[in-house]
Amino acid sequence: MSEPLLRLDHVSKTFARGGFFSRRRIEAVKDLSFTIAADKAEIFTIIGESGSGKSTTARMILGIERPTGGSLQFDGLDVGALNGHADRMRFMHAVQPIFQNPFEAFNPLKQLDRYLFLTARRFGAARDQAEAERLADEALRKVGLSLAEAKGRFPHELSGGQLQRVAIARALLSNPKLIVADEPVSMVDASLRMAIVNLFKALRDELGISIIYITHDLATAYSISDRIIIMQKGEVVEAGDARAVLAAPQHPYSRQLREAVLTPDSPRALAS
Amino acid sequence: MSGPVALHTPTTPVAGAALASDPVLRVNDIQAHFRTQHFGVSREVRAVDGVTFDVRRNEIYGLAGESSSGKTTLIKTIAGAIKPPLQVVGGSVQFSFMPGYPGLHAAPAAEVERVRWRHLSYVMQGSMNVLNPMRRVISTFQDFAWRHLGGSRKQFEERVVAHLARVRLDPAVLRAYPHELSGGMRQRVTIALATICKPDFIIADEPTTALDVIVQKDVLGMIRSIQQEMGSSVLFVTHDMGVHAHLTDRLGIMYGGRLVEEAPTPEIFSRPLHPYTVYLIGSLPRIGDDTPRKSLEGSPPNLADPPTGCRFHPRCPLAMEVCARQVPPMVESLPGHRVACHAVNPGAAA
Ligand SMILES: Nc1ncnc2c1ncn2[C@@H]1O[C@H](COP(=O)(O)OP(=O)(O)OP(=O)(O)O)[C@@H](O)[C@H]1O
Ligand SMILES: Nc1ncnc2c1ncn2[C@@H]1O[C@H](COP(=O)(O)OP(=O)(O)O)[C@@H](O)[C@H]1O
Ligand code: SF4
Ligand SMILES: [Mg+2]
Ligand SMILES: [Mg+2]
Repeated sequence: MSEPLLRLDHVSKTFARGGFFSRRRIEAVKDLSFTIAADKAEIFTIIGESGSGKSTTARMILGIERPTGGSLQFDGLDVGALNGHADRMRFMHAVQPIFQNPFEAFNPLKQLDRYLFLTARRFGAARDQAEAERLADEALRKVGLSLAEAKGRFPHELSGGQLQRVAIARALLSNPKLIVADEPVSMVDASLRMAIVNLFKALRDELGISIIYITHDLATAYSISDRIIIMQKGEVVEAGDARAVLAAPQHPYSRQLREAVLTPDSPRALAS
Repeated sequence: MSGPVALHTPTTPVAGAALASDPVLRVNDIQAHFRTQHFGVSREVRAVDGVTFDVRRNEIYGLAGESSSGKTTLIKTIAGAIKPPLQVVGGSVQFSFMPGYPGLHAAPAAEVERVRWRHLSYVMQGSMNVLNPMRRVISTFQDFAWRHLGGSRKQFEERVVAHLARVRLDPAVLRAYPHELSGGMRQRVTIALATICKPDFIIADEPTTALDVIVQKDVLGMIRSIQQEMGSSVLFVTHDMGVHAHLTDRLGIMYGGRLVEEAPTPEIFSRPLHPYTVYLIGSLPRIGDDTPRKSLEGSPPNLADPPTGCRFHPRCPLAMEVCARQVPPMVESLPGHRVACHAVNPGAAA
């Protein structure tokens, strides 16, 4: 068997929090293991409780947070201990984040096109400014925007949905092997939401990019995921083929989740 | 029935009790534009371009619509959160608890101070980051809510703890710094802040996007019960049509800086009339349904140079010659159901 693209091996993360008197330990992630294959791109979905460790998992995969137990390997690199500059660059090139809140993901004082140009020149193929502009425009067009719309604008000058699309375009610019998308569609309308998740599918099928898709939206999870894990309080309570799990969840928490989905078809639950 | 889907059996308007009552908020032909200068080129983004609607006492009014259609800008204008380059170009925003001013933006600071938190609170889109990163959560509650609620420090804290429990937050979050909380926890902290003084009017822009569906249901239930306890009003923006279907009493749909349809929420789902709404309702993905969903052809209108006439005409399957020429007026096509479309209201533009 070939080496997987990503391997999480009994990964845990404990945070210490609180004042002098009440120092508490929070086990954000407990003993998490899974792999993503190198030879077959897939969409791997994580759903679960708010505060169940989804973002912490994402941040560990991205090398932003170090695990307190277990290990993470990406393409032969130990993510918990990236040392040399060359390794770090190779890693940052290959693994791209899309964060939960696009308003937090960008520096409010920096124009958006400058991020894109920087990424195009640093990780992408661009050798000069003209090339960087062309690549940035191409990436923006994949997400339904254009450079003309983003040029010279600051993050607060775009709507939430526009900003999230810029974040995705930026991730595409470095030709990654893995995208870690933490609630990427929560701020966009249903039509765009489908456009973005369909884009994820195309990235998987046409470019062979694997995607870790963290979401609260069970309907899009159902429509694009290959495998799924459901987390509660730092632990995986159910895992498997996404359609099978979502269509007929087994664990009581997964069932509760499935039942709490508000759909236009069910009788009004919160009406006056 | 003109819609492609019939999700609810048609009913008489649900908001029966609210129908009779007076508006608390009256938005009249409001126009709010962004006027910017980039490299000497001035640009005017007509993000909100002539929107008229009322929010009544004791109702939850929902707003949905395309991304970048102007929902947040409209909400900001109503909440008085207007900073350059945003400018109110025309129209008015009247709150019943603030008579005599054509909007928060035009009222003196002391008056705005008087109504904030107590009468009006505003949860901004992506507002998890308004929490001061240098201060523990409890300090933020003290800064904003203590002077309205009064009581001793201990009483106040007990009240905060009880309120946090309603959004399923552990009292320990009060001692935490914002960065120590998950996005969903921060989002619930901001909702708790906005609701603890039980204001008459709550404005919330995508307040539950970071919550799992179980917690979301609890939080929405809390908003509904506070609203009912106080008979207050809520203006609620979300892209989640499932949330609208369950929570809001009336629903307005925005496209390209304008309101294009408004009706009691169940009727929007059972009988959408505007072609954009028809598309929106028909495109919703469902668990267990494998038919591929098309995204809308063409791109959202550029609000710096919007299409003439009906802004939806370049993408509309029903577009006629008149659509590119004349702005369709908002007309009450059915009782309590307003639509801006030449195909739905032939001859109305005259
Ligand atoms: N500060 C600003 N300067 C210039 N243009 C702006 C500014 N803020 C918003 N806009 C533009 O105004 C339009 C409406 O934005 P708004 O944030 O109101 O959309 P929205 O309907 O809330 O979208 P979403 O659903 O994506 O949050 C967009 O074209 C946006 O790019
Ligand atoms: N930097 C931090 N310091 C302390 N606690 C943290 C930190 N980041 C996250 N946590 C805690 O870890 C738990 C999991 O958080 P997170 O992974 O963000 O959850 P989610 O599943 O909602 O993405 C939460 O209890 C959160 O408060
Ligand atoms: S006015 Fe014309 S273009 Fe606009 S929605 Fe109606 S039919 Fe379509
Ligand atoms: Mg998270
Ligand atoms: Mg918005």
